[in-house]
Amino acid sequence: MTRYIIDCDPGHDDAMAILYAAKHLDVVGLTTVAGNSSLENSTRNALAICTLAGLRLPVAPGLGRALIEPPLDGAYVHGITGIDGADLPAPGYDPLDRHAVDFIIETAKAAPGELSLIAIGPLSNVALALRLEPRLAGWLKSIAIMGGSTTSGNRTPYAEFNIVCDPEAAAIVFGAGVPLSMVGLNVTRQVGIAERHIARLREGGGRVSAVMADLLAFYLAKMQERYGTPTAAMHDPCAVIPLVKPGLITFQPLPVHIELGEGPLRGMTACDSRPMRRDHDQPGASRPANCDVAVAVDGEACVDAVIDTILGYDRP
Amino acid sequence: MIPLLIDCDPGHDDSMAILYAARHFELRGLTTVFGNSIVENTTRNALKICELAGLDIPVAGGIGAPLVGSFAPSMIHGASGLDGADLPEPKRRPVDLHAVTMIIEAAKKAEGELVLAAIGPLTNVAVALRTEPRLARWLKCITIMGGSLDIGNAAPYAEANILKDPEAAAAVFSSDAEIYLAGLNFTRQAILDRSHAEMLRQAGGAVPETVAGMLDFYLGRNEARYGKPISPMHDPSAFVPFVRPDLVEHKPFHIQVELASPLLRGMTVADQRNVTRRPDEPEPPRANVKAGIRMDGPAATRHVIETIASYGRG
Repeated sequence: MTRYIIDCDPGHDDAMAILYAAKHLDVVGLTTVAGNSSLENSTRNALAICTLAGLRLPVAPGLGRALIEPPLDGAYVHGITGIDGADLPAPGYDPLDRHAVDFIIETAKAAPGELSLIAIGPLSNVALALRLEPRLAGWLKSIAIMGGSTTSGNRTPYAEFNIVCDPEAAAIVFGAGVPLSMVGLNVTRQVGIAERHIARLREGGGRVSAVMADLLAFYLAKMQERYGTPTAAMHDPCAVIPLVKPGLITFQPLPVHIELGEGPLRGMTACDSRPMRRDHDQPGASRPANCDVAVAVDGEACVDAVIDTILGYDRP
Repeated sequence: MIPLLIDCDPGHDDSMAILYAARHFELRGLTTVFGNSIVENTTRNALKICELAGLDIPVAGGIGAPLVGSFAPSMIHGASGLDGADLPEPKRRPVDLHAVTMIIEAAKKAEGELVLAAIGPLTNVAVALRTEPRLARWLKCITIMGGSLDIGNAAPYAEANILKDPEAAAAVFSSDAEIYLAGLNFTRQAILDRSHAEMLRQAGGAVPETVAGMLDFYLGRNEARYGKPISPMHDPSAFVPFVRPDLVEHKPFHIQVELASPLLRGMTVADQRNVTRRPDEPEPPRANVKAGIRMDGPAATRHVIETIASYGRG
């Protein structure tokens, strides 16, 4: 059976992804990275979410900054703690005394071919693990990424936050030869959390659902303030959903290039969505596909699946 | 009728665009540029089209290479740039005036009324705008077929006209001219197929039959290359908005041209969601382009084909 490590930077939508994945998949641990907030916040928030849900998943802290890019701050979406809006419990246990990169490598080495990564923050930990242990690419079964976009971005006109936080790390991961899937903004924007979903959590009446409702209410308000949309994109769980319910998100193998130039396109996941041009010796021809890219989604079914799962935490 | 000058690189869809525009605008001339073929060919092809349709307008040859780098012609339009149309060598000659000069003089003379259509690489237009700084003000607007707000054609994100001279495109987009853009996201909404060639053949006459032949050639090329005998109606789509505004929708964008990245060079970069507008950052840059976002494709293709069919047997 496949085992999973979630590499994350919780984060409101990370919290949803963790709770959703832990109910359906064999999640053997979390590794944290700076992204939506500082590494300290990411780690504390990961522990707090697990404590809330009674999960006690091992949490290994990772990189506190990107390879090259100076830190970005996601506080404009997630608040100063990285997960504002609810009374999360204090962490009920400590993080592992082991670096995220080592945890990934050692877990993969222990059972080659059985570990998959779910990467829903900047790709700094994953990239360094791949460079530190060249055999890791062969040991990993797959990497499921939330990041990038086939269309427009969010942090910049064409770049998505997770990728633009550490474009060089993304370039390493997309060039590693590990089977990759990417769910980007072009799809996650169609998966909208609305007031009615928050109401469902509140009606559930339990502690986990109530805290998640508060978190999502904060997140929705921030997104409404920023984008003026009635819903908030449920980004991170969309990397997990295809592993649980394969039919809800449709993928297409595409050549994906990570733009590293210093210009306005830095951090763009340039997906060659043209009809494949196989005249490889000609200028403008398509490169070989290196990633399964999400292109279509049943948005409502995705949100329902995650909300149903969260409600399940409060049932005996 | 609106006075019009067309800077072009015929080219199959250029030819359709010229023939279409000649019926709806006061067409004051053609200037040619490299692009679909070398400039010697595009000039000769422009003259052939004028001769075919009896258009008594000046044709001025222009620039044969991009501002930076070099030009390698693609074969999508055949060796002549207009294969499939068996047109005789033209008797007419180009005027003894450079394309850039003709653009500047035509704009000056039309006193703010001239529409400049640019349906090839933007080299002539860029040089004209930089040579005569008042040109941007003298023109009513520039309508461009080029770029894309989504997927490219010559490269994953770049369209061929822009990619053939990205620096020229950057110069034009950063001028003060009013710019309308028909990008691939727009032209792909109007699809030509064999039924359109058939309509032209039914109409009969030299012009419709010649365009039917060109269309056959071009659709055949696309079928061999992409698997389907269809083609977006690229160049005519830059003119339709002035004739049938009811069929199209435009939106203002700030568009820059990517010049650096090897993979993304020539991309028309548009901030489509205004994500740069945040409380902690300056206002987004001024919109410099009105880009076509929606077109009633079936109505637009029918309208263009009917116009060309109207040349009939006369």
